Amino acid sequence: MALLQILDPGAKPKPIGIDLGTTHSLVAYVTATGEPVTLADCDNETLVPSAVRYAPDGSVVVGKQALDAAAHAPAETFLSIKRFMGRGSADVAKEPHPYKLVGTDGAPRFEVGAGRAVTPVEVSAEILRELRNRALDELGGVGGAVITVPAYFDDAQRQATKDAGKLAGLDVLRLLNEPTAAALAYGLDAKKNGTFVVYDLGGGTFDVTVLVLDDGVFQVKSTGGDSHLGGDDMDRALAELLAGDAAANLTTDSRRALELAARQVKHALSERDNVNADIELPGGARVTRTVSRTDFEQAIAPLLDRTLKAARRALRDAKLGAADVDGVILVGGATRTPAVRRAVAELFGKEPLTSIDPDRVVALGAAVQADILAGETGRDDVLLLDVLPLSLGVETMGGVVERILPRNTPIPAAAAQVFTTYADQQTGFELHVVQGERELAADCRSLAKFTLRGIPPMSAGMARLEVRFEVDANGILHVSAKEQRTGIEQSVDVEPTYGLGDDEIERMLLDAYEHGEDDVKKRALTEQRVEAARILDATRAALRTDATLLEPGERELIDKHVVALEMAAAGEDHHAVARAIESLDHAIKPFAGRRMDRAFREALRGRDLGGLESETAHAKGIESHLPQGERDGRTQVEK
Amino acid sequence: MNPFATLGLEPAVSIDAKEIERRYRDLQRALHPDRHAQKPASERRMHLEKAVEVNEAYRVLTDDVRRAEAVFALRGVAVDEKDGRIDPAFLMEVMELREGVSEAAAKGDAAALVRFVADAETRRAALLAELEQAAGANGANGAAVDEARATELLGRLRYVRRLLDELEAMTADLEEA
Repeated sequence: MALLQILDPGAKPKPIGIDLGTTHSLVAYVTATGEPVTLADCDNETLVPSAVRYAPDGSVVVGKQALDAAAHAPAETFLSIKRFMGRGSADVAKEPHPYKLVGTDGAPRFEVGAGRAVTPVEVSAEILRELRNRALDELGGVGGAVITVPAYFDDAQRQATKDAGKLAGLDVLRLLNEPTAAALAYGLDAKKNGTFVVYDLGGGTFDVTVLVLDDGVFQVKSTGGDSHLGGDDMDRALAELLAGDAAANLTTDSRRALELAARQVKHALSERDNVNADIELPGGARVTRTVSRTDFEQAIAPLLDRTLKAARRALRDAKLGAADVDGVILVGGATRTPAVRRAVAELFGKEPLTSIDPDRVVALGAAVQADILAGETGRDDVLLLDVLPLSLGVETMGGVVERILPRNTPIPAAAAQVFTTYADQQTGFELHVVQGERELAADCRSLAKFTLRGIPPMSAGMARLEVRFEVDANGILHVSAKEQRTGIEQSVDVEPTYGLGDDEIERMLLDAYEHGEDDVKKRALTEQRVEAARILDATRAALRTDATLLEPGERELIDKHVVALEMAAAGEDHHAVARAIESLDHAIKPFAGRRMDRAFREALRGRDLGGLESETAHAKGIESHLPQGERDGRTQVEK
Repeated sequence: MNPFATLGLEPAVSIDAKEIERRYRDLQRALHPDRHAQKPASERRMHLEKAVEVNEAYRVLTDDVRRAEAVFALRGVAVDEKDGRIDPAFLMEVMELREGVSEAAAKGDAAALVRFVADAETRRAALLAELEQAAGANGANGAAVDEARATELLGRLRYVRRLLDELEAMTADLEEA
């Protein structure tokens, strides 16, 4: 299928928000009037079941049709693939599933027909592609995309999601935490300041986030959860209940059929006190049983307890009590279950907010954030400040974890640590980065091995390797390193423990194009032109508003590079456009630095009512804090 | 880095938490990378670096121990944790407190844990007040800093903080049991 699908060349591409869920996914955008709306298919259905079927004829089917096939073709129809994102084969092998897992280490691969194996990233990419096409049909053009992830997703799970977006041909503007997206949708609605808790129980993941809303700033204070706990687990518990004594002897196919039926029973139990289930299993056996709501609630009680425990921990992490909470927002289809609502209301002592459809609220928030990031709205009153969900650390002697950044650190964040060599003339160094709260590296999630190369040869213990760990606003880790004595930058090779390497993603991308290299070039040119337009717009706007900050001769220099970029963008060589972008970027850097300093000063002064004396003190503080040389030194750490 | 300067504040051991929050949000409103997503790469990078720095300053200033350390570091006092030689009498006191806390936790005596927390909080407040004095109080520039005293007080503050962290973990375990 063609990825470069431009239906109306005149239409301005619209940024979109995608909720890539465990059981279903959806896409939303912001209308011309500023209203976020979810996109429906021709049957007026907004939810796309997160089901992907690799049919024997080689075709790929996504959504309801695939879900319908799930019971009779379980091995080639993927449900709840989100559970396997960013996880290793060994982990996946431990969980019951009907797929044909091949290989035992690295990222899991599932065999789907003769000689074909797919990774969870590829399966997820199919779902994203379906949503992208839906948006293309409706909007004519798709700009960047914000994809939501559970707040509790670790680095590997986030990276996998981002890779899936890339593979689906999306320009991923941001990975946004689902609870934060929901809060954004609610916050903009209510225009109310205060402390809020988002309780998000989805199909396969549970998140709880505590955040403060203050005049458009959504500041996450703490987050917690379980990336393997959700409505799916309720279905499983209910399936066990339905099967009764036979539960232990079910075939994989029967189990799946029973779980799918259990989902229906669960929904019915939200409305009624008793449900008579009559389920036909593959092979003709029947399960008939009457389940009461009380039975069901008893079966899911341990699951609910786990969510409440995580909620209490998040409150403690935020140094707050239940009484400090002004509102509780419910997100995720599983929160429709009355027992969930009751438990949450009891914990926080107030009725939760449910005015926005819990299935759609995340996608709506994502669409708003996509609009903001794409600069579509004049909405400069909204800002999301998120945190790192799980501590990051490196493995040290004896397998003990040395923590680099603790959980709930506001992101973007960075930390530097100095290491040394242990052998004479050693030129390489390996770091094992893990994520989690446990003391031993073996008990945490292994993220990647980073190998530093190009250390200048010295005696053992002489080199001072400063390793900089940086977590971006997506919650994704980047590592760079420098030898301090010589100032020599080390190259860092990343070997993800469970994820896919960059070259693997590139290969998959190439495979996805119909005409291989030609399409890649065309796409690169389109992307560079978009970037060129962006930098030209930004530069012109800056020259208009901040001309007073220009130094003599600077304007001429910038103008020269502007013209050069305009010419390059009119041509066909994407490398030339990239070079011209870089030159202009370089030329405006000092000017941009002055503009940022001024913005910084103004931000501090804005609220300062302390009079002239303290104002001068602050200004002095900033000056002394930001010497030109130091700032330049820091920005060299770019990768 | 001077975290106080980053948030435009005068160095002080005790700072109004609301003021820190306010300045932090005002700065992020102006600097956060999301505000500059459409800017050229170097400008985005610049804002990212600055946002990281503001986040780090915020983390230091919202942490009692790190904030106090930062005040003394600015006054030229070495605040390295290893340098602390703490009064044995104080250490004995803390040890006894810890034993009491462990006992209460083992017995599941939540009310006792609450009393221990209140006691530790009082100690913490007193130490912060003493540290403020040792730093030469607000704005009293040039006043000599008693280095030995500062090191001692910081060491004690770290002990009380650790005790509070333990108490929190125990209270949590008790709640979840």
